[in-house]
Order: sequence, then structure tokens, then C-alpha cells
Amino acid sequence: MEKEIKKELLAKYNAGLANADDRKRIEELLESGEIDLEQLEGLSILQMQVGAIETEAPSQRLDDQFHAMLAQEKRKHHGKGFSFSFHWSNLFPRLAVAASFLIVGFAGGYFLKGSSQEKSVDELTQQVSELKEMMMLAMLEKESATERLKAVSLTSDMQLVSKKVTAALFQTLNGDENVNVRLAALDVLMNYAKDDEVREELIRSISLQDSPLVQIALADLMVMLQEKKSVSELKKLLQKENTAKEVKAKIEKSLNVLI
Amino acid sequence: MKSSTPDLEALSDNFLMVQVREGDLDRLGLLFERYKKPLFGFFYGLNREQELSEDLVQNTFLRILKYRHLFRGEGEFRAWMFQIARNVNHDHHRANKIKVKEELNDWQNKLGHQENQVTEMVKADDEQRLSLALERLPTEKREVLLLSKFQEKKYQEIGEILGCSEGAVKVKVFRALQELREVYKKLEKTM
Repeated sequence: MEKEIKKELLAKYNAGLANADDRKRIEELLESGEIDLEQLEGLSILQMQVGAIETEAPSQRLDDQFHAMLAQEKRKHHGKGFSFSFHWSNLFPRLAVAASFLIVGFAGGYFLKGSSQEKSVDELTQQVSELKEMMMLAMLEKESATERLKAVSLTSDMQLVSKKVTAALFQTLNGDENVNVRLAALDVLMNYAKDDEVREELIRSISLQDSPLVQIALADLMVMLQEKKSVSELKKLLQKENTAKEVKAKIEKSLNVLI
Repeated sequence: MKSSTPDLEALSDNFLMVQVREGDLDRLGLLFERYKKPLFGFFYGLNREQELSEDLVQNTFLRILKYRHLFRGEGEFRAWMFQIARNVNHDHHRANKIKVKEELNDWQNKLGHQENQVTEMVKADDEQRLSLALERLPTEKREVLLLSKFQEKKYQEIGEILGCSEGAVKVKVFRALQELREVYKKLEKTM
């Protein structure tokens, strides 16, 4: 009986004679799964026609964008592994923790074992120093000038630094956007001025500076070191049109002492 | 894309997505090739803008990458992807406060002069008229018809996407098709 009523209802709908109540009943039957959309002939055809509407195709632009995005994501993904393309700044927190553990271990070991373990203490000192260097390099990559200043000052109590550190300090001296950070790097580099390579780099840095403060500081340093090789670089700075008047006066005085 | 043979299983959407989740990002390229066109069709059907639709496809894949760890591999990848696509579309319009398209009542105003109406409609064949009718449907009705088209009438999956039962999806499709038929008939009369 129920089957007959459904059949009648569908026939009525398909003939276009269904009223609002019939449609409501059809909705109920659809929801309960007793009839299927395919049984509603007109609508089923319409649905097929919608399915057959030609779909627009995306342009090459989408392919290009997608593959660029995927490549970037892959780089990021691999960066989390072992690649050397990582940012030092990402490594900093881990290095800081590692250094803290090492220092605690070092101190603990020192007090527990006493002087009989001098050799291992030396090794540990070396390792702490290396970690400090790595921390410094990581901090130099930070956006905050204060962090970079801290990084530079980290090296001030190191007796020996690697070439990597001096190279980073020179990069800071010649390229950091903040004058205070550049001055701090110069202060630290002064300590290593006994080294010929460091001296030569300091001389080369004279012509790269555009800040009067750093220029004056370098001129003072050359006088202090009595570095006659710096004369030609200082003269170049003297001849530059955009060198500040005060700097020129200072260089003239420095040249008088050096020549 | 379910298959019983191991080779085909390796190419199934879910298997590929699980590999993406495990870090083999290249596999997403295969899924992109497989679904860029249906996804684009879905967005284009909703927005009728080429460039915007391409950007939304791109955003969908970006989100798939971002939330790849959330893919459990239990449901169908396609349903998961369309769920993300819906959110991408929704977020875009919410962010830009775009009123997607005019309602049916505004349509005649859009066309303006009778002259324009004739020019517009003379060009239209059946398919164009159907596309036009589809365009005039309210967004949620257009969306359920587009999902039904690109999900190949898998109403249970569409239910997962829309967060309702399979039966409720069928009712939504029924109502959308009824309205589409009415709009289509009105367009026919104006020709």
C-alpha cells in the first residue's frame, strides 16, 4: 500500500503536478532514503546537465604558483634537517641550553674531580668557548640591534677566537645597519689587532665606513697601533667629498702623527 | 580511488596524502594534477573569476600542506580537500566582505536595458542558459550543486563536507535543483 502511495507521488511529481505538500512529502522520503533523487526524472536530467557543463580550465599561472610554493615548502622542510641553509637565529635557543648544561657540567666536574682532571677541564673549556662562538654567530643574525650588541660583547672575554668569529665581526663592522653595533664590533676587534690579518682588514674597513663616529674611531685606532699602512686609506677618506668636516680634521691630525 | 592491487593502492588519494603527511612533499604534485581542475571548477562556479579562483586553489593546497599532520587517512581525501576548499572560499569572502553575487531578484537590474537583455540572451544556448541560471542561485544552493558535480554525487562525502547527514544533503540538492529549474524557465521566457 505504502509502495503504491510512493509510486503515485513520484508519478505526480514527474508529471509536474505536485503541490507544496507533495514536495514536502518527497523531501521526507529523500531524507529517510526511501526514494532517491534519480527517481525524480526531470530533476535527475537537470542534474546531469549541470554535471555536463564544460568547466573552465585554470591557466599556466596556477601551475607555476603551485610548484613555486611546493619548492619553497620543500626547502623549509629540508631546512629542519641537516642542511647548512638554516638560520643561526633558529639554533640560538638550543645552543643556549646546550651551553648552560655544559657550563653546569664543567663547574660540577671541576669541583668534584679537582685538579687531577686538568686535561678534561681544558677540553671542556675549549668546548664552552666553541659553543660561545656559535651562540655569538647565531645572535649576530638577530634583527634586534640589542641582541647583536650582546653577541659582539660575548666575544670580548674570549682570549682566542676563530677566524669564523673575526670574519663575522668584520662583516658586522662593515655592514651592520646600526652604528653602535659597528662600534662595538670595532672595540672587540681592537683586541685582536696584533694579528696581521686583522690589522689589514681594519685598514681595508676605513674606506667602507660612512658613519663619522666609526671613521673617527678607526682613525684613532690607527694612531694607537701606529699603523703606517693605513695612511693611503686615510688619505682617500680625506679626499672624499662627503666625508664630514670634523672627520677630515681628525684624519689630518692622525696623518700628522703617522707620517 | 580505492583499489585492491598494491600498485593502484600506491596511487590512491589517501595513500599519496599519507605520504605527504610523512614528509614526501613531492606527492602533493600528483594530487594537485588530479584535483586542480575540479577545485578550480568549484571555485569558478562560486565566484566566476578566473584569477581569484586560481588563487583559491593555490590557497587550498597551501592549507593542505600546512595542516597535513591533521590528515588521518580514515575518510576520503577528496572530502577532506573540499572541506578545506569551502573554508578557503568562506574565509576569502569574509575577509574581503564581498557580496558574492546578486540574488535572483537583482538580476534584471544588472542587465539593465531591454536591448542588452536581448543581446545577452540571443547568444545563449542551452548550456549557457543553464550556467547563467546556476549563477543566479543563492550561494549555498550553488555550492551544494557544485559539490554534487565535483564529488560525483557521493552524498555521504558531501555530508561530511557540509556537516550534515546524507539524507539532508539529498534534500538540499532537491531544493537547489527545483530552484534552478525555476530560474532556468524564467530565463527561457526572456529569450
